[in-house]
Amino acid sequence: MFFHKKLSHTITLSPEFLGPRMREYVTKKLYMDIEGTCTGRYGYIIAVVAILEIQMGKVIPGHGSAEFEVKYSAILYMPFRNEVVDAVVGMVNTLGVTAHAGPLSIFITRSLIPTDMKFDPHSNPPSYHSEDQKIEKGTMVRVKITGTRIDATEIFATGTIKEDYLSVIE
Amino acid sequence: MIRAGKRHGPYRPRAEETLDAGKLELGEDFQDAECLLISEVKVLLEAQYESKKEEKNLTDVYTKTLEYVQKFSRYTNRDTIKEVRALLKPTNLEPFECAQLGNLCCSEYEEIKSLVPSIGNKISDDDLDSLLKQMDSLKKYQG
Repeated sequence: MFFHKKLSHTITLSPEFLGPRMREYVTKKLYMDIEGTCTGRYGYIIAVVAILEIQMGKVIPGHGSAEFEVKYSAILYMPFRNEVVDAVVGMVNTLGVTAHAGPLSIFITRSLIPTDMKFDPHSNPPSYHSEDQKIEKGTMVRVKITGTRIDATEIFATGTIKEDYLSVIE
Repeated sequence: MIRAGKRHGPYRPRAEETLDAGKLELGEDFQDAECLLISEVKVLLEAQYESKKEEKNLTDVYTKTLEYVQKFSRYTNRDTIKEVRALLKPTNLEPFECAQLGNLCCSEYEEIKSLVPSIGNKISDDDLDSLLKQMDSLKKYQG
């Protein structure tokens, strides 16, 4: 699910930037520091929407750099267990299917793909197909997330399409 | 929360074990946060695209997300998004459920109830049905 949330972040500027265009540097550094990162707490930080407040900076004693606390709002993406999402299929092999929902990769193991869909390694590209449905690279699927694992820089999810109203969508 | 003595191995946040969107348990950070429709994310991201491209500030996450929202955005213009929001506002559904309704665009109330089980009995089947129908017609007749 995408969220819009207010967050805060501390920016450290070295003394060379403490001049007339200081606010601009602070803003730029915020974009560089946090956009595209991923944390366990907030999920993916996709883009900063607005800078709400840049507080008065504090010079760090004995160091010369200054710290600024910046309040901003951002678009976040965080997957949850039992959430239903639409995704695009990327890789298809004998183990299962990998689908992508924005920055998130969702792995669907073979046992959680409907049993009437069989893997066909000889088709090009490789696919799972039943009589009327086909999953190959680029197919859009509706997936229910069954679990997530949070790494330092990425979130991985596992999903199922073996339930009512899930599977391939047009 | 149960803590069984000393933790072994690397630290892993516990959150993923306990949170469950099916029961609407999103954790304290997201419980009351504003949820965005995919179409709204598309509007926000596209507005930033040009300036980001100029500054060469496009991250991998940003481009992947932009591709995704362009593919799955259901409502093409801002007025339609506003009208969908206006339809969803008077219901007593949580922000997460509203966003799921707008994103998944189901045609039957049974379908959405099965995909978003937390909706349960918060809204009567007839109301839900007419809500879905209105959203569907907005989608059909958008400019």
